[in-house]
Amino acid sequence: MSGSTASADTRNPSGVVAKAQSAAFPETEADRERRRIVIMCLPYFALAAVGAFVPLAIMARMSVSTERFENAGFTMEAWRTLLTEPVYWEVAWNTLWFAVATTVFSVVIGVAISHALAKYDLPFENTLIALISFPIALPGIVVAFMIIVLFGRTGLLTNLVAFFTGQSPIDLAMAVSVFGLFLGYSFSLIPRSTMVLRGAFAEINEDAEEAARSLGASPLLTFYYVTLPQVWPGIVAALVLTFRTALAIFGTVLVLPALNVATLRISLEIQSLGFNSQIAAAIGLIYFFFILSFTFAGVKLLDNEALKI
Amino acid sequence: MTGDDSQSDTEEFRTSRRKRSRIHRLDVSSLIGRKLVTLVLVGTLVFLMLPIFMTIVASFGTTWTGVLPRGYFNLDNWLTVLGLAEGVGVRQGVISGLAFSTLLATGGMVINVIVGVPIAYALTRYDFFAKDYINTLAILPIVPGIVLAVAFLRTYPEMGGSAFGLIIGYALLKSPYMVLTVQSSFQAMNLQQIEESARSLGASWIRTFLTVIVPNAKNGIIAGCIITWTLAAAEFNFTFMVHARGPRPFSLFLFENITRSPVLQGAAAVSVYFAIVTAAILILQTAGKAGFTTVEEQ
Repeated sequence: MSGSTASADTRNPSGVVAKAQSAAFPETEADRERRRIVIMCLPYFALAAVGAFVPLAIMARMSVSTERFENAGFTMEAWRTLLTEPVYWEVAWNTLWFAVATTVFSVVIGVAISHALAKYDLPFENTLIALISFPIALPGIVVAFMIIVLFGRTGLLTNLVAFFTGQSPIDLAMAVSVFGLFLGYSFSLIPRSTMVLRGAFAEINEDAEEAARSLGASPLLTFYYVTLPQVWPGIVAALVLTFRTALAIFGTVLVLPALNVATLRISLEIQSLGFNSQIAAAIGLIYFFFILSFTFAGVKLLDNEALKI
Repeated sequence: MTGDDSQSDTEEFRTSRRKRSRIHRLDVSSLIGRKLVTLVLVGTLVFLMLPIFMTIVASFGTTWTGVLPRGYFNLDNWLTVLGLAEGVGVRQGVISGLAFSTLLATGGMVINVIVGVPIAYALTRYDFFAKDYINTLAILPIVPGIVLAVAFLRTYPEMGGSAFGLIIGYALLKSPYMVLTVQSSFQAMNLQQIEESARSLGASWIRTFLTVIVPNAKNGIIAGCIITWTLAAAEFNFTFMVHARGPRPFSLFLFENITRSPVLQGAAAVSVYFAIVTAAILILQTAGKAGFTTVEEQ
């Protein structure tokens, strides 16, 4: 259903019906093509309707329910609580600044890595690329464990520092701190930003760079004036996609709860603070619309070529 | 006149020299720039790989009190987390949970093939209304897992722990990866030419799609299967909130071992995950090489 309305032209309301009709009973080749498009998009939209659109609508209803365990009655209490309780403003602020900070950090590192992969003659380059992209497959809880392995109480780096300074590893452990969480987010985000940026770096015009270098510009000036303008669309794409991912991370912050961010708060409302389903639904809804509008705004900024996960 | 010329020449020469000297002052970048960037690369690589490597090594150790784990070579941690060791505190049902998760991930993967391949084709081959928006919707996860989970709790309460609810959720959350990989495979093909050749030889468009287009995009589909399977096998955010009863999915087993067990047992549990991912990649790649094609390999 969604597929047919999407492929029909809604600018002309009477045309929608006509086009739906012609797609269902095609007479021309254009009609048949339209029907083909609808049929091919249909499975996806069926899944999206059952899996996302209907549940999201029910969740919107859930946020104004008076009952906690079923949708009944109508109250704006959850929304009022969200707006008036300072803790929710703090959660929103934490979510935003932390996502922005980790995104910017990961994209800067990603730029350096893609630059090295594209420009330098590195040994085992394909292996390097495979190793750097592998952590994309790791779930958030496993990433959190990676941070514990490095910075936890029994962690490798913790004990290494303890060995040389003579301090207690328990005082040095940083896994469950904002710094540890920052590294955890970066562990998930750096591979993603690098994979987006690699595409941008692959299409650089190397003649212009060589010309700049032979005219006496230093590597830094060449990068700033010649390379950077060329990869800028890729950097914007990486920022948009990495920021989206940073907002959605949950497993890492559940295992290393150093900062109260929105995903953690949703889980707390349901599981620890006593099934506050209305508030969880309201946060979820705000969150969903924020990510959706941010994505479409970001996509408007980009050309579609640059858009990769 | 000549004097004027030489005057402006000298002027020009001076400014250009000033510019050049400024460039030269910035030339530290050619001294340390490359080293710095290489250092960032190596540092990141160590940061990403060292904990993975240490986890696998530590899972075979006996104790980890100093800098490095000690007491090799020991399978106790593996046997304990898999519920195969004897004694107190041994977990039950790990193997059945693993089998259940394998089933869920495979179900999600199959749905992703059915759903993702046609829409990827439509988006690559045809031009139609709102195509850009549909494309964005299809290649980016619509909803974060945890938000989807809250929505599922109320919409399908009776399916809390059922395979069906989890499979639908996994399929939806991971479908972008399938669409994206298959799309890049379609983009490398001359779709219009292939399609027109097949059609002019008398094949219906469904037949063309199933027996010509799909086998040609085999590599992309296999890559998409690998990604969606491995991601679904350990999908945690959604499972953690939605799962209520029935066999315990693998990601919850991971979570329990990571948060409530000694670090070496956690290491063994995470290593089990690495082993499963590696096995899945190998199996799907072998399956891709063995069959699933009507055209000769080039």
